[in-house]
Amino acid sequence: MASTIAPDELSTREVISDPYPAYRQLRDRSPFNYEDLPAGSVPGIDGPIRAWALMKYADVYGALRDHDTFSSANNPLVGKAFPPLVLIFDDPPRHTRFRRLVNKAFTLRRIEALTPWITDVANELLDEAGAGEVDIVDRYTIPLPVKVIARLLGIPGEDYETFKRWSDAFLSLVSMDNTERMRSIQEMVQYFGKIAADRRAHGAEDLITALVEAEVEGEKLAEWEVLGFCMLLLIAGNETTTNLIGNVLNILATRPHLWRQLRSDHSLVEMVIEETLRYESPVQRIARTTTRDVELSDVAIPKGDVVIVYFGAANRDPSEFANPDEFRLDRDLRNHVAFGMGIHYCLGAPLARAEAKITLNAFLDRFSGITPGEASAVRQTMTPVVFGFQQLPLVLERG
Amino acid sequence: MQLVLDYKKCRKAGQCSYLHPELFKADEASAPVVLVEHPEADLREAAEEAVDLCPNGAISLREEP
Repeated sequence: MASTIAPDELSTREVISDPYPAYRQLRDRSPFNYEDLPAGSVPGIDGPIRAWALMKYADVYGALRDHDTFSSANNPLVGKAFPPLVLIFDDPPRHTRFRRLVNKAFTLRRIEALTPWITDVANELLDEAGAGEVDIVDRYTIPLPVKVIARLLGIPGEDYETFKRWSDAFLSLVSMDNTERMRSIQEMVQYFGKIAADRRAHGAEDLITALVEAEVEGEKLAEWEVLGFCMLLLIAGNETTTNLIGNVLNILATRPHLWRQLRSDHSLVEMVIEETLRYESPVQRIARTTTRDVELSDVAIPKGDVVIVYFGAANRDPSEFANPDEFRLDRDLRNHVAFGMGIHYCLGAPLARAEAKITLNAFLDRFSGITPGEASAVRQTMTPVVFGFQQLPLVLERG
Repeated sequence: MQLVLDYKKCRKAGQCSYLHPELFKADEASAPVVLVEHPEADLREAAEEAVDLCPNGAISLREEP
């Protein structure tokens, strides 16, 4: 039996790098109140952040569907010094208007039309990566999603290292000092401010132009709303997909039988991706705030408290998924909550799935084998929000 | 035209009943139900938008003979 993990340790680096033992130990006790972040983690808030952890599938699902009680707005974990991300921190009716506005850019049909271009980007990156031992995070899983979202937004893909730095700063809850963090976020805000001004003057065929020109109920978006959209799309459009692709490649590299099975039957690619979403959810959790006193699993949660909804724990709940700690292709995977559920269901889900599918098909076409490298794989420990690799050395064998 | 929901593809994401309550309603188990199976001209645009916005491609509009 692994060592005992206390609720207050959920946001420590050890647990972030592998949260699953903690979920196994704590799920049955949830909902419970715990210290999510120590004092000084969130700019502008002196004390520690306390929250309620939801880890059972039924509680997680219920909270996601009940957006009136579990509000996305007024999230105390959001700093006040920069424009808040839109959608993810909005409730209806604001959320409804914004969602209608951007839905069109991320429909399955639009994403399918992008597939040939995304495939070219994937192949270019793999040409450059070559064969032998490669840190696939550095060479592939970071640049692919950043280049794709940059193109959709209409900003230069070559600047992807800068975009990645900004995005890391935004997500970092644990390992970056607040001055450094705020400086990076300010840089990002100013950058998008300049691009938005440019697109107002000279429109282009891109999302930022669509945002500055869009009218919602007869009114143009305010500057901070345009910036909140740009930041949301850049940040949500890259980290999550980087982690999904890294997680699925690691699963294949460490399960030679699965790789062989996939090589002989490419039609399993989508199942492998869905099971990866469940088994190692790229987004592990999301915060909500209660708008009334509410009871979940016989526990009373007062109005105004922070609730952390653990997708990662729900997706391994044995009451919903039999033998949840096994990676299997024979499940009904329609119920996993890796993309959330309800009104905030991931806007980019079709894009994330497409990038993962294009990646696996490109790997299957190009390589006869992928195995773990000599150097060690390193999980990120920057934030409990996501689960993925900071470094993932793989040996790529041509064939 | 017939508005059709493929329950094999539906993941109960909830976008259809959220953005087009005139066409879809979520039942107690959160599964969507089609309210208007044969949308007339005034609901045609909404129906087309609903087809497009389902992240799981579970909604379609079928020509009727």
